[in-house]
Amino acid sequence: MDLKELKNLIVEFKDDAKKLSSTADFEELRIKYAGKKGKLAEAFEEFKKLGASEKKEFGQKLNELKREVEEEIAKLQENFLNKKSESPIDTFLKTLPGRQPEAGHLHIITQAIREIVEIFKPLGFVRVRHPEIDWEWFAFEVLNIPATHPARDEWETFFVDAPEDKKYGRLVITPHTSNGQVHEMLKNDLPIRMLGISRCGRRQEDVRHLQTFFQFEGLAVDKGISISHLKGTLDYFAKNFFGPGREIRLRPYVFRFTEPSFEVDINCGLCLGKGCKFCKGGWVELGGAGMVHPNVLKAGGIDPKIYTGFAFGWGVERTYMMKSGTKIDDIRHLFNNDLRFLEQF
Amino acid sequence: MNILVPQNWLKDYVETEAKPAEIANALSLHAFSVEKINETASGESVFEIEITPNRGDALSVLGIAREVAALLPRLGFSAKWQEPKIKTGQEADKFKLDVQIKDKSLVPRFCALVLEDVQIKDSPDFIKQRLEVVGQRPLNNVIDITNYLMFDKGQPMHAFDYDKIKGAKMIVRESKKGEKLITLDGAERELPAGVIVIEDGEGRLIDLCGIMGAKNSEVDENTKRVLLFVQVYDPVRIRKSSMALGHRTEAALRFEKGIDFDGVIPALWEAAEMMKQYANAKEASKLIDILNVEYIPKTVLVDYAKINLVAGVEISKQEVDEILTGLGFVFDGQNVKVPSWRYDDIELPEDLAEEVIRFYGYYKLPNKLLIGDLPKSADQDLFFWEDVAKNFLKHRGFFECYTNSATNKERASEDALCLSNPLTEEFKYLKTSLLPQLLGVVEKNLGYGDKIKVFELANVYLKKDRALPAQPLRLGLAVKGMEYLDFKGEIEALQKEMGIKNRQDFEILEFENSVLAAEINFEDWAGQSQKVKTYLPLCSFNSIKEDLTFVVPDSKITYSDIEKIILAIDERILKLEFKDIYKNFLTLAIEYLDREKQISSAETQEIRKKIFDRLEKELKVKLKL
Repeated sequence: MDLKELKNLIVEFKDDAKKLSSTADFEELRIKYAGKKGKLAEAFEEFKKLGASEKKEFGQKLNELKREVEEEIAKLQENFLNKKSESPIDTFLKTLPGRQPEAGHLHIITQAIREIVEIFKPLGFVRVRHPEIDWEWFAFEVLNIPATHPARDEWETFFVDAPEDKKYGRLVITPHTSNGQVHEMLKNDLPIRMLGISRCGRRQEDVRHLQTFFQFEGLAVDKGISISHLKGTLDYFAKNFFGPGREIRLRPYVFRFTEPSFEVDINCGLCLGKGCKFCKGGWVELGGAGMVHPNVLKAGGIDPKIYTGFAFGWGVERTYMMKSGTKIDDIRHLFNNDLRFLEQF
Repeated sequence: MNILVPQNWLKDYVETEAKPAEIANALSLHAFSVEKINETASGESVFEIEITPNRGDALSVLGIAREVAALLPRLGFSAKWQEPKIKTGQEADKFKLDVQIKDKSLVPRFCALVLEDVQIKDSPDFIKQRLEVVGQRPLNNVIDITNYLMFDKGQPMHAFDYDKIKGAKMIVRESKKGEKLITLDGAERELPAGVIVIEDGEGRLIDLCGIMGAKNSEVDENTKRVLLFVQVYDPVRIRKSSMALGHRTEAALRFEKGIDFDGVIPALWEAAEMMKQYANAKEASKLIDILNVEYIPKTVLVDYAKINLVAGVEISKQEVDEILTGLGFVFDGQNVKVPSWRYDDIELPEDLAEEVIRFYGYYKLPNKLLIGDLPKSADQDLFFWEDVAKNFLKHRGFFECYTNSATNKERASEDALCLSNPLTEEFKYLKTSLLPQLLGVVEKNLGYGDKIKVFELANVYLKKDRALPAQPLRLGLAVKGMEYLDFKGEIEALQKEMGIKNRQDFEILEFENSVLAAEINFEDWAGQSQKVKTYLPLCSFNSIKEDLTFVVPDSKITYSDIEKIILAIDERILKLEFKDIYKNFLTLAIEYLDREKQISSAETQEIRKKIFDRLEKELKVKLKL
């Protein structure tokens, strides 16, 4: 053995020391280097064989090496053996559940709104907000629903006890987000791709209806917009919101502010449209939509000969509850603010 | 409204091999939703169909048959149309009716015919059965025929006992408030003003027009002469009256949606014919037909380009023409004449586009995404900061709440806007602050646990004179089981999270049960927020930190008095933080840094001395010794 091999020996030792993962490994290492027949002992045997001239330097190095190995082994021993000395209660303590920070919760409506926004964002729909207390004018008149029209009764509208405006009529809690359509058009900034999400109010309350609720309203106005664009947009939404196998279909319907108007169905999540016990015909009603009525465009200062558009306005809570899995049987939970309900979301 | 259409009845008009489910599917996808196919005891299929309010013409077997006959051939089914024969009876000139119409707008078309030698008895079985299937109780042959034709043709009609019309005189007018009559169902009804009624020669009210006949002129088993009565009333008045009276009859529901002007006379003759056949009746008067409005046939432009634009696919001219013709439109150059039964519903080229595309099939249109110019972008910052705040508060253990937009009197402020038609007292005043309802949430959940932390981010509604109410976005927070300074710290930390550089003041309110709350004008905060963070170069010199404890004197001073003084003393004071307070011993952590060179302890000592001097001099705050 020469000096070079002696140097290698320490390198080898350090490498081995790094690989330790158990007490047994450590024991093996100790025997390999510091044992009676270990590498150090071996080196001392070699030392004895050397001539006097070499002995001096080799001996010195060998002693340094021995010290280094022994110190290192002592350190490692401490590390490994101390673990062994942990008392049972100490071990038990570490099996206890961790102390979690207090958990807060975002309301299910916020979560639903975020999901909806994230789906429409890549399609270029820009989120906007319109008045929640608005003039009758924007909630009805400009939407092609004159005061005498029976369609007005379909919205169970709340009126505010305040003086009427000569042009704009009474103040209402807007019964739908469609009041935002003409507000948006009057900004005079075409083309429009808006996503309006606001609170609405209607005079009804039961397991499926709330006096306060949210709607999301999509409106696109541009040259050349067709029903195909409406279908594509809603289908994109359905696939992203409800799942890849889902699709929508349009059926004829009537709304005053769209022409043509549609009822939008989605294929049933269980049978995907074949028809099953749950859905009967394979399709479930999702909400209304349509091509913006020329009178609405005109009310918004837009020339219906040049521009067309589509619109849809659906209930946030209702759409979210149609997602399978939430199992919320009574929509009134949503505004009841029972913390035992809220903590589940 | 929903109507019932028996398949066998439909066969009177259209012969087809299509099965009921196939007919239902075709209607649902192209015309009206068939909600159910019911089956009668004898195995007959009955369609339950939702008719949209614009389609009064479809509130009858005939109306549905028209759609079915036009639709089925397009879907590969046979459909043979059985054109109803237009019947005309023999007018006689035996009995007269003196008609006075006070206001022509009440009754655009007034038609009637007297029949004599009427034998009142049961209707034939087919009439009774059909009426039962559509939910109408059979009464006697004359009344049943009028009901039968309402379901068949969509034209409501009425039969008076002619001899009970005193003086053979009818005055059509609007009711005065408080007038009374007993309707056929035996109910005495007190009328509001403005209901269309008929008064006879003795001043008795004998009809609640378009809604229900009066008991005093009804056809009974002794009736010999009948006045067959077929009208078109003003839809708006019928609707208002029937709503005001809470009496929504099948007749009213049809009158208020508009009646086929050209269908009146054929329906009347059909009824006369049936009464001759099943009640032995004979015509005994001239046909009375008073037209109070001029009926001008309507034409609409067929805009092929528009149809293709709206559809997003090309529909050939031939197909467009076929569809419109099938639906009863008659071509006249570039225009079509609107069929009389669609008079109220078809107005614009867009309306024709709807007719064509729904028959073409919405499901056949491709799905496309929008292309074109970039839409204008609106400022999204407020939405961004809402998300930041909500996320922060959630991670700080707050529960997000949503409360109603309105509240009760107890929780409302003095100047809150009030609803004029609230549904409940709980929901009557628009909220002007988020806190009353949030405190309610805390109160309701007191049993939930030792610590409760809730927030809501929502608009409040503030009254403005003769203008839309201001609707600012607020953040409300309420907690229970938290130390005052811990709660305050949460809100301060939120400001930091939002990148608000100039600290915003806010007020913490204290309530019973050690509940704390705060309300923030969120839009103000969002306006102060910095999305882009400007970086301050890191300094290579070390700072010196030290804690100093002061004695707060027994006088009215605030922390910010102390803070202001210290921070103004020297720009090398990098940070001042509140560390602790015990009794009136206030410990502050101060950090000194010189950005130009390493600050020495001699220099900090100099600054410290100034701090002591100024605090003592201005606020009597002394170092604790």
